[in-house]
Amino acid sequence: MSTAVKQALVLALGGVIIMLVILALTRRRLLTTRYTLGWLGVGAFVALAAVTLPFVGRLGKVANITPTAVLLMLSSLLLLAISIQLSISVSLLQERLRTTAEAHALLARRVSELENT
Amino acid sequence: MTDIVVVVPAFDEEACIGDVVTSVRNLDYDCVVVDDASTDHTAEVAEKAGAVVIRLPINLGVGGALRAGFRYAVDTGATTVVQVDGDGQHPVDQIGTLVQHLDEGGYDMVVGSRFAPGGVSSPQSRLRRRAISLLSATLRRRSGLTISDPTSGFRAIRDPLLTAFAGNFPHHYLGDTFEALLVAGRRGYRIAEIPVEMQARQGGQPSTALPASVRATLRALTVPFTGCSFDLPPRSPG
Repeated sequence: MSTAVKQALVLALGGVIIMLVILALTRRRLLTTRYTLGWLGVGAFVALAAVTLPFVGRLGKVANITPTAVLLMLSSLLLLAISIQLSISVSLLQERLRTTAEAHALLARRVSELENT
Repeated sequence: MTDIVVVVPAFDEEACIGDVVTSVRNLDYDCVVVDDASTDHTAEVAEKAGAVVIRLPINLGVGGALRAGFRYAVDTGATTVVQVDGDGQHPVDQIGTLVQHLDEGGYDMVVGSRFAPGGVSSPQSRLRRRAISLLSATLRRRSGLTISDPTSGFRAIRDPLLTAFAGNFPHHYLGDTFEALLVAGRRGYRIAEIPVEMQARQGGQPSTALPASVRATLRALTVPFTGCSFDLPPRSPG
């Protein structure tokens, strides 16, 4: 078995493991569908990378970068994109939590007022 | 309920909040204390002193407490809110002057300023004073407002600005003071300041960790690039 094929198999295995973990998490309702789909996509991307590796190698040759470095670069970019997306989600959630907390406080006040009359 | 409500945002202010509420109640104003999930007895002390207390279930910061207070005021039919800190550094006896200025000048907001001619401030570090003038200069350049003390939390606000704030008000540091002025000024609301005498805080702890001067400077320098974190409906003429 050539080194290239071994590499491809290891990568594909990694991709499949990611997808299995994500599916397990989803079944335990720890992930919402929205994120499940995104992460399944990541798993599929990694598994497919096994097939596209030769292409990645050629891409690297253009800029004189080793295939490993190209792959590392791509995965860093992906992780960066995921972190930014999560930051956006958190900001949005913060705003919603804030609005909910304020509404809650006003309602609690109103209820205790009504109870005392 | 009268149409003026005094709103006091408070976080762990049990040492001072009682005196603040008592002096507001002695002037015959309705007093709403918004307890920002304090870990001490702020809410009980305030209630005992005669305030209406709104308890936030989680800590939201001054802006969150204020928006809840504004919302409450608007919902109960108030048209003017005077905002006072819970630590006793604001001169409660000058609330009447703020409101009077609001009415006579036809303003939407009047800011009580430590640094306007005639105002009195507790001793400030030079760095902090610098940071505040930088904020003031930024405000003038970007909204045309001349406010010497844009970080002052002693202010009178009335409709239509009050209703606008009740709907949308920033909650991060300097959002409730500097940015609120900046956005309101740009949207055509009429804002003025009058000199007031402020004390040093009477007890409790200041609520910011990083030196305020550093954060203020950073905000003044970044606002041209980041823009503001919220917006208001433009003021309709009249």
